[in-house]
Amino acid sequence: MDPMSNGTNRQWSAVSEYERPLTLYATRILGDVGRAQDVVQETFLRLFSQNPFPAQPFVAQWLYTVCRNKALDIRRKEKRMNPLSDSHIETLRSADPPPPEILESREKTSQVMKALDGLPENQQEVIRLKFQHGRSYKEISEITNLSVSNVGVLIHKGLKSIRAQVANA
Amino acid sequence: MKFSPDDPKLTAYALGELGDTERAEMEKQLAEDEDGRKHVEEIRAVASMLAEELKKEASPGLTEGQRATLEARLSSRVKKAKGLRRLMSLGWFRVAACVVLAIGVGLLVDALQFHQVIRGAFRASSEQLAGVPMTKGSPSMGGEGGGGGGPGCGGDSTTTSVPIVYYGMAGEGGGGGGGGPVAVGGGLYRSETRREAGEAGFNTEAYSGITDNAFLRVVDNPLSTFSIDVDTASYANVRRFLSEDMAPPKDSVRIEELVNYFTYRYEPPRGENPFSVHVELSGCPWNREHRLARVGLKGREIAENKRPPSNLVFLLDVSGSMQPENKLPLVQSAMRMLVSRLTENDRVAIAVYAGASGLVLPSTPGQAKETILSSLERLQAGGSTNGGAGIQLAYDAAVSSFIQGGVNRVILCTDGDFNVGVSSEGELVRLIEEKAKSGVFLSVLGFGMGNYKDSMLEGLADKGNGNYAYIDTLQEARKVLVEQMSGTLVTIAKDVKIQVEFNPAQAEAYRLIGYENRILKKEDFNDDKKDAGEIGAGHTVTALYEIVPAGKRVESSGVDPLKYQKPMQAAPASDSKEMMTVKLRYKQPDGDTSKLLEFPVTDGGLSYLQASGDFKFAASVAAFGMILRDSPHKGTSTLDAVLELADEGKGSDREGYRAEFIELVKKAKAISER
Repeated sequence: MDPMSNGTNRQWSAVSEYERPLTLYATRILGDVGRAQDVVQETFLRLFSQNPFPAQPFVAQWLYTVCRNKALDIRRKEKRMNPLSDSHIETLRSADPPPPEILESREKTSQVMKALDGLPENQQEVIRLKFQHGRSYKEISEITNLSVSNVGVLIHKGLKSIRAQVANA
Repeated sequence: MKFSPDDPKLTAYALGELGDTERAEMEKQLAEDEDGRKHVEEIRAVASMLAEELKKEASPGLTEGQRATLEARLSSRVKKAKGLRRLMSLGWFRVAACVVLAIGVGLLVDALQFHQVIRGAFRASSEQLAGVPMTKGSPSMGGEGGGGGGPGCGGDSTTTSVPIVYYGMAGEGGGGGGGGPVAVGGGLYRSETRREAGEAGFNTEAYSGITDNAFLRVVDNPLSTFSIDVDTASYANVRRFLSEDMAPPKDSVRIEELVNYFTYRYEPPRGENPFSVHVELSGCPWNREHRLARVGLKGREIAENKRPPSNLVFLLDVSGSMQPENKLPLVQSAMRMLVSRLTENDRVAIAVYAGASGLVLPSTPGQAKETILSSLERLQAGGSTNGGAGIQLAYDAAVSSFIQGGVNRVILCTDGDFNVGVSSEGELVRLIEEKAKSGVFLSVLGFGMGNYKDSMLEGLADKGNGNYAYIDTLQEARKVLVEQMSGTLVTIAKDVKIQVEFNPAQAEAYRLIGYENRILKKEDFNDDKKDAGEIGAGHTVTALYEIVPAGKRVESSGVDPLKYQKPMQAAPASDSKEMMTVKLRYKQPDGDTSKLLEFPVTDGGLSYLQASGDFKFAASVAAFGMILRDSPHKGTSTLDAVLELADEGKGSDREGYRAEFIELVKKAKAISER
């Protein structure tokens, strides 16, 4: 059956539109492309079973929210089995370098990116959601379960640190 | 008023995140605040730099296989939705029922997701997490942000018919694994262990649960129908466990595969039929009151020089889990042996898969041995396993160099640990089933240990018109790929089904030994659309029935005698002395219509001491299997009795396989006495 035929239209166009950004997003959280892909696949499977289907303006927000929760769930479980890293779970502070697949595609790590990689993970996450995924403060607040003003503060702080580092370089 | 550079409002304004009123107010104030305007400029500059840089990060997106899974799921949902609409039109009073049904569908979808998650959790990522000692639990479906949907567990009705049991066993360092056992809720998966890098300990071998066939009363079930099975993997796997001083997991023992590991000296066919059929009936060694019938098939032999041209595509798993010496290196040695036998009529291609898949050797004539061997040498293991994409690629390669009238076959060499892409067993099986229609057959060669996925591999070979062998040693590789090359490669009949009708005047009850996952419905026998097993050149297939003669007591089935039904009227032929009639159906390898063969069998009343050597040997192997499975039907069998019977039936044993069996029984005895 042609996936573009009637009735499955919206589901399939959501896959085409968001599979890449979501994989990127989940890879950030999990530090591993393969597991991120699994999470994204599950996210779409879950979307397919949604009835009613989320209204058009909320599809992206829905996808990012579910994808994030699934990814965090997996990460939490992994870390729970490893008592040494217990304290790192909730603060989401991770100095893990990005996976090599993503590093390679960057021609050279610019100052800005270096500065970004140095930020606390919660600032990195909202900055990526804003500038890489084009999500509004409101959407980011829904996705991350933070208040809108909290999102504003994190983005502001993050940008400020980056500006400072770029200026000093 | 001046803005402090620490005011997040500045950033919000710069990024266009303020509402109309707030924005207007900000603009008014900024008009008089040069520093503020400068901040805004800087924020915008850094924001655009960030956006620019972040755009360069490429995303792989989903794998081909995952996308295909999603597409398939969408198509099937549309079908279900149509069914629902039809129900809806039946009237309002049905709405309540429809709601229940809709919830049912939701549950099913979640159950499928659960299956995916389990597979996902099995992403045995020694390669990805090397050196990171962590153990993953299986993610549950609970606690998600999306809401909606049913609980994430339940029947796995669409993917596998039997629950899969994951065995955790200590002391299995071979796969390089470790980690702790994690119990999975939902009751479906009884236990599960995770293998992770860096620690020795558990393995994640998966075997489908098997329940021994029960005795069936002839009056209730006069027909016994099953598909033949020439697979031998279980024997080699059992041998591997025993040689490591471990009792094999019960469900890894498939009795028919133990029995069929050995070649029996059945007369080859003389007429036009592709195989001959031999039935032998005598006493049952493990129950004095019972009879044992052996149905033996022998495929036509094809001399090595008469072998039809072969178009072979090797599909090699080169993922990280294939690194150990008994996996990829063994695959390479095995293939070198096979390549040495190829001729200019044959063609070979090699496709590999790990996280990605690719064709490392396009279809190449068999005499270009140098080219083939050198591409073999270059193979290295590393990365995750996307079996689905590889299978697609291999079949495409086989179809593009298809030899009419020749052997066209994909040979999959793997430990079955698919962990990327189409990794649910059901999806892979469907993919293979689809591909089998192209006329390309499949051989599955299982390698390695520790994370060996037996149930998955057997399922693939079954659906792909193929055979399945487990290769644990170079000697086994020689047996499968060289000695039995024509049998492994040349299919002489396909969809071979056996149906036995028992005569109630002679037989009270019967039990098919083994073949638990090959049982067919009685209607399937005449249904040419129903897939069944293949038989290769020179192959022998053996099936054993334990029969309770008429008049002998059968253990109660627990069902009361029927109150309203008349006992079944026996047909006139039941007066005959015939115990049973063995019927076979088969198709030519390229045919679509089956041919029927029938053989009536009469009991000559022999005791098993008078039976042929092959009969005794096959019976001893079956008894050994029942002991290993701790079958409720093992009767009086003991390992000593197995040894005695095997010794009597050993015969000339030119290749030494039967002697090896006797050694294995002794080994099992030593383990059991520990």
